[in-house]
Amino acid sequence: MKFSTKAMRLAGVTALLATTMAYSPAQAADDTIKVGVLHSLSGTMAISETTLKDTVLMLIEEQNKKGGVLGKQLEAVVVDPASDWPLFAEKARELLTVDNVDVMFGCWTSVSRKSVLPVIEELNGLLFYPVQYEGEESSKNVFYTGAAPNQQAIPATDYYLEELGVEKFALLGTDYVYPRTTNKILEAYLKDKGIAEDDIFVNYTPFGHSDWSKIVADVKALGADGKKVGVISTINGDANIGFYKELAAQGISADDIPVVAFSVGEEELSGLDTTNLVGHLAAWNYFMSADTPANAEFIKTWHAFTGDEKRVTNDPMEATYIGFNMWVNAVEAAGTTEVDPVIDAMIGQKYPNLTGTEAEMLPNHHLTKPVLIGEIQADGQFDIISQTEPVPGDAWTDYLPESAVLESDWKDLKCGMYNTETKTCVQMKSNY
Amino acid sequence: MKNTFLARHPSVIVFILILAVITLLATVFSEAYGTGLLPTNYVKILGKTLCLCLIAIAMDLVWGYCGILSLGHFAFFGLGGYMIGMWLMYARTEDIVIASMTNAALPPTPDEVRDAIGTQIFGVVGGSDVPLVWTFAHSLPIQLALVVLVPGLLALVFGWLAFRSRVTGVYLSILTQAMTLALSLYLFQNDSGLRGNNGLSGLQNIPGLTDMPQSVLSIWFMWGSALALGVGYVFAAWMVSGKFGNVVKAIRDDEARIRFLGYSVEAYKLFIFTITAVIAAIAGAIYYPQAGIVNPAEIAPIASIYLAVWVAIGGRGRLYGAVIGAALVSLLSSWFTGGQAPDVPLGFYTIKWVDWWQVLLGLSFVLVTLFAPRGIAGMFDRLVRKDAA
Amino acid sequence: MLRPLLIAALLAFATPPLALAQDAAAPSDTPAASEQVLDDTTPETPATLGPLQAILQEHQKDVAKASRRTVDEVIAAVREAGLPQGLTFLERWGDRELWQREEDGLFFFTKKAEGQNLTLIDIDTGEEVGTVSKRDMTNLKPNSGVRTVIASSLVASQLEDPDPARRRQALEAIERRAEKDHLEPLRASIETETDPVIKARKERLLRVITISFGQTTENRVEAIRSFSQDLSIDARAALNPLVVTRIGYSEGEPEGVNVARILTPGRTIGREEAYALLVNDDKAIAARTRAERKAALEANIEEGKVGGVPVSELSSQEARDRAYSNLVDEGKAPPFVTDETMDAELAKYTFYEAYADSNTEVTTAAAETLDSIDQYVGLNRFFSLVLDGLSLASIYFLAAIGLAITFGVMGVINMAHGEFIMIGAYTGYVVQQIIPNYTVSILVALPLAFVIAAAAGIALERLVIRHLASRPLETLLATFGVSIALQQIAKNVFGTQARPLTSPSWLDGAWVINDVVAVSYIRIAIFVLAIIFFALLLFVLNKTRLGLEVRAVTQNPRMASSMGINPDRINMLTFGLGSGIAGIAGVAIGLFAKVTSELGQAYIVQSFMTVVVGGVGNIWGTLAGATMIGFLQKVIEFFNPSNTLAAQTYMIIFIIIFIQFRPKGIIALKGRAAGD
Repeated sequence: MKFSTKAMRLAGVTALLATTMAYSPAQAADDTIKVGVLHSLSGTMAISETTLKDTVLMLIEEQNKKGGVLGKQLEAVVVDPASDWPLFAEKARELLTVDNVDVMFGCWTSVSRKSVLPVIEELNGLLFYPVQYEGEESSKNVFYTGAAPNQQAIPATDYYLEELGVEKFALLGTDYVYPRTTNKILEAYLKDKGIAEDDIFVNYTPFGHSDWSKIVADVKALGADGKKVGVISTINGDANIGFYKELAAQGISADDIPVVAFSVGEEELSGLDTTNLVGHLAAWNYFMSADTPANAEFIKTWHAFTGDEKRVTNDPMEATYIGFNMWVNAVEAAGTTEVDPVIDAMIGQKYPNLTGTEAEMLPNHHLTKPVLIGEIQADGQFDIISQTEPVPGDAWTDYLPESAVLESDWKDLKCGMYNTETKTCVQMKSNY
Repeated sequence: MKNTFLARHPSVIVFILILAVITLLATVFSEAYGTGLLPTNYVKILGKTLCLCLIAIAMDLVWGYCGILSLGHFAFFGLGGYMIGMWLMYARTEDIVIASMTNAALPPTPDEVRDAIGTQIFGVVGGSDVPLVWTFAHSLPIQLALVVLVPGLLALVFGWLAFRSRVTGVYLSILTQAMTLALSLYLFQNDSGLRGNNGLSGLQNIPGLTDMPQSVLSIWFMWGSALALGVGYVFAAWMVSGKFGNVVKAIRDDEARIRFLGYSVEAYKLFIFTITAVIAAIAGAIYYPQAGIVNPAEIAPIASIYLAVWVAIGGRGRLYGAVIGAALVSLLSSWFTGGQAPDVPLGFYTIKWVDWWQVLLGLSFVLVTLFAPRGIAGMFDRLVRKDAA
Repeated sequence: MLRPLLIAALLAFATPPLALAQDAAAPSDTPAASEQVLDDTTPETPATLGPLQAILQEHQKDVAKASRRTVDEVIAAVREAGLPQGLTFLERWGDRELWQREEDGLFFFTKKAEGQNLTLIDIDTGEEVGTVSKRDMTNLKPNSGVRTVIASSLVASQLEDPDPARRRQALEAIERRAEKDHLEPLRASIETETDPVIKARKERLLRVITISFGQTTENRVEAIRSFSQDLSIDARAALNPLVVTRIGYSEGEPEGVNVARILTPGRTIGREEAYALLVNDDKAIAARTRAERKAALEANIEEGKVGGVPVSELSSQEARDRAYSNLVDEGKAPPFVTDETMDAELAKYTFYEAYADSNTEVTTAAAETLDSIDQYVGLNRFFSLVLDGLSLASIYFLAAIGLAITFGVMGVINMAHGEFIMIGAYTGYVVQQIIPNYTVSILVALPLAFVIAAAAGIALERLVIRHLASRPLETLLATFGVSIALQQIAKNVFGTQARPLTSPSWLDGAWVINDVVAVSYIRIAIFVLAIIFFALLLFVLNKTRLGLEVRAVTQNPRMASSMGINPDRINMLTFGLGSGIAGIAGVAIGLFAKVTSELGQAYIVQSFMTVVVGGVGNIWGTLAGATMIGFLQKVIEFFNPSNTLAAQTYMIIFIIIFIQFRPKGIIALKGRAAGD
């Protein structure tokens, strides 16, 4: 083995000599800072992710107008992982080793993030992940600017319990990680709150499911034992259209059986007529209808950038906005784009969000975020009816016994999965 | 025997030589063992492409030589990936778990280790117990055997059922497609115990070799893929060259006549179907540790259709045609959809290849079927013959 | 131009407050007028607050941030004051028409003024008191929990309201949240009710709330029994809480409780569960869990040993148990609970399930009534399942019927068939963009979808399929290529996002037979469409010249051609017909689901299955196939309600196996027509 390595090296040296003239180091002095954009531009996720690519490009353009970062202009390197999960890993490696980007913004689905994780941890890259997700993860190389379950699911459930007096829960979801984990956390949480197991109805449907009549009828029938029923929906993407159409067809009003959705935003609602859905709910950390000057400015810039007055903004866009600006400030503070100093400078960064409060990057690489609950309106926008103070994001949920003992702290403990009972770092790198 | 076989088939030697030269060149220019001119990323792409060439050979055997248009061979490829992936994930997690438990007051019991592994692997998909299908995941030899056994058995049972009731032609194609769809839907379920939509990930980190950088691993895997492809090619060439091959080809051309001649058509078909499924599974088992993640989307029916597209474009009934088709189309696909291909401005409209590549691929497929049924290899053959003449 | 408006504005100020409330729409919002008002009268805090305002200011926080838990207090305060404007306030508050001024926290009703401004209306007097910018005001939006409480408090006053809409509102409020106080007003209002529909609803509702709140046991039992044939959800919702049980135990016979049944540990109640009840009340020692025992071991490590066993040996459960029992012997840990001790403890008590309600007559009546309802519900649920299956079958049939012609009758395999469905759906979408009237647009879209999809089909037939006439596998692949290309073109043109295709309002809603059985009108429409096309195709194929020629060409093209039939023309027409029907199916499917570029792909495998299972060459077969697959899927879903994905997997496996036994499908052609 050793010999063969040597032999290989020898061969390599020979080849090197043969191609001396052609070879030049990749890290030639550049006067731009490269920003990788790793969002699908084709395939099933393109619809959601293209918007985020445009957001990053817009933010880069704005930042360059202000003089860039550290006196250098920012340059976007856009690749297309085409909604193909293994391709995410390949493209991430390409961005980090071939294009030598200093930071990446990207991914939407959890599986794409899990695909990219080993690569960026191996090559010590830096990724900003802007989508609400199921938690149970904290990587040194990733900053999670979307909501963790305790910043979306738990407060929405509290709203159901406290404000609407819901006693019986239907947890409907698409069959994949985010709904599975979220529902598992919610089930544990609801049992904690004294809801009996029989009063929690769980159902999973495939992606793009369209035949909802039976499920909606089942939900309706839950009301037969005299308890107030509420639906918590983690139904993803297109399937929502059939679901909401069936709700409307069966005449389920928000006053009788409210539905709160965690994956339905302004973008999804533009695919259907919302007049029959007025009053149903969604929980996010941002709504386009937020009435603040910063948001008005953001929407104006967005419309100017896309040249389309009808384009909506949504929660992951705000998460990208916060993440990008924090990164800019962290780079300025660290005085370099080197990954390790920037990671250190990121923790504790504060930046005003678009809903009138301030986001802070916590040592567990999650943000503080206010939780907003909005009611669907006839024009496809949300009417914000409840807004909390910023809630700190929790990487490992407190409501599952095996996660409750875990903690993430990249500042003092330098560990993303620290067991507070045994006082050991379970793993330095993520287990994907 | 082998000498005579190779002597009769000089194309096999040419193929092996070309394969060896490509692999050697890649090593010489690699980051780990050479000049570093070829980034590890491209070494990985090369390695994966070689695996795709191998499954294309399997597809060519079953379709080009035996006339069974299987739209399900990617299911076997994916299953192979799943089988090896289970060991990769389990063993890697076991290392992490045991390392994290060394500081515990009491030494861990086997049950505790297993529970902790379960939490680590399945916690993310809302479970915590290790499902039954993972019973042998701790053992590399068993999982390696399963790489061959599980897809092989699936193919055997499915093929037996299908061929026995004389399902042929397009019906068989649709049935294989339904099988793929059923399998991918099954794997999409969280309850299948294989992590649902997330699939198995982080497979590029080989347990026990954690200190070896990816640049080195990728070379080793590339060599492994090349070796598998070489052996597969020789095996396939050997198989189709003898009497067995003649019977198989005859089945393709006129099944009824062969049956009347007294051959057990069903047995031949079943054999080809199963053996190609096993080749596909082996290709998958080498492919996915390089790709890093295997999940149900890989098994979706469209993947198997693309496989047929590669073989058709490359040229059916010629092994090197399948290889050319797979390599060319898959590399072109990733080049066009990767956003690297330059856009074509037409003034009133800009053709973005990200958007239009699929259209081009689909239409070129129609054109190949209509005008060049023998694919690229067919045209190549014609040129060679002309030279000879 | 300005003058009359100014006069109107002045008049408005002078009119008495009550009249003004109705005048909300008066055209007082002229730019000049409102700006002037804005300039002249900076909002002033009145020196003295109106009585209602004063009450509300006391509860300022609870009004501004209303919650279900605190709103009762506010309502009580408002009602106690007995102000006439109190009711109006509650109604408008519930309707989300209350605003709060940010600077001083006072509450107002408002009226839209010019631009971003609002005209303030005093909540006590109803007078306009100024105009302010919207930015300085917050609209208070009590959530639906709060609104339910408010509506419930308004019931008594609304039940005899002259406006039937208000009366219905009151009834809805009772349905959502019934209270004891509602019983008498409801009973009283029935006499004077003039509207027969509302009257019937009131009478029924009275029975429902009598179940929970009736004064005498006879009343309640009578009300309960009256529902024994009624499966409506509200009646069951009133009955079920009566039979809620809890598990209890007693030494000796249970006393003072309304026992539903006695439980036997190990049979009707788990031993562990029963034991946990005892532990909970400190009547028994808790069994130590494995984790607790481990903690005890860890706490007792002495010089590398626990209970005499070296720590390094404790990597198996047996060794740990041994060490623990040593600890127990040394008195350092609480003992194990063995099965015998557990059984002995359990034997000391009687476990039972008791109704929460202590009234035996009521609980018995409720339990019996529910039993009788349950049978009825079961029957209806079966009926509902049948309807669901029928609906799904009709959708599959509609998706597959085009294929039944091209694949089934002509024997041409067309993998781009799904894309013709998609083309139809997008046609519907585009038509709806041009013609805003949903009814007209659907009527235009249906034939248009037929024409466009048929044209696409004919083009495909002439350009591709005809040239691959005797090579079915190649046809399959080439049409796959077309399918991939068409899908991507649709993505490029329309984007990957789902597009809305909205059904006309007369197809909204559902045909509700009762609270268990309901079918949405859109599904009924699809069902009817499927029947129409089935009949139409049967007619075309069996009774027309075209049909005859199609069958002739399919069975023997050469013979047909020598009989003077032009097979090329017939193939083209048939293919156009099949594709066109796919286009119409696309509109129908788009209406009930969604329009995306993957719409066709989602149905293609299922459609082929339908045709193959049903039997090729015959429309009856397709019908049989669709019916079987539709019902099968619903039945599997019924048995496994929590996972629809599994249902689809099992169904495909079933189909694969089914084809083993009937490779030619349910309705197989016999003789020469079967061909191969």
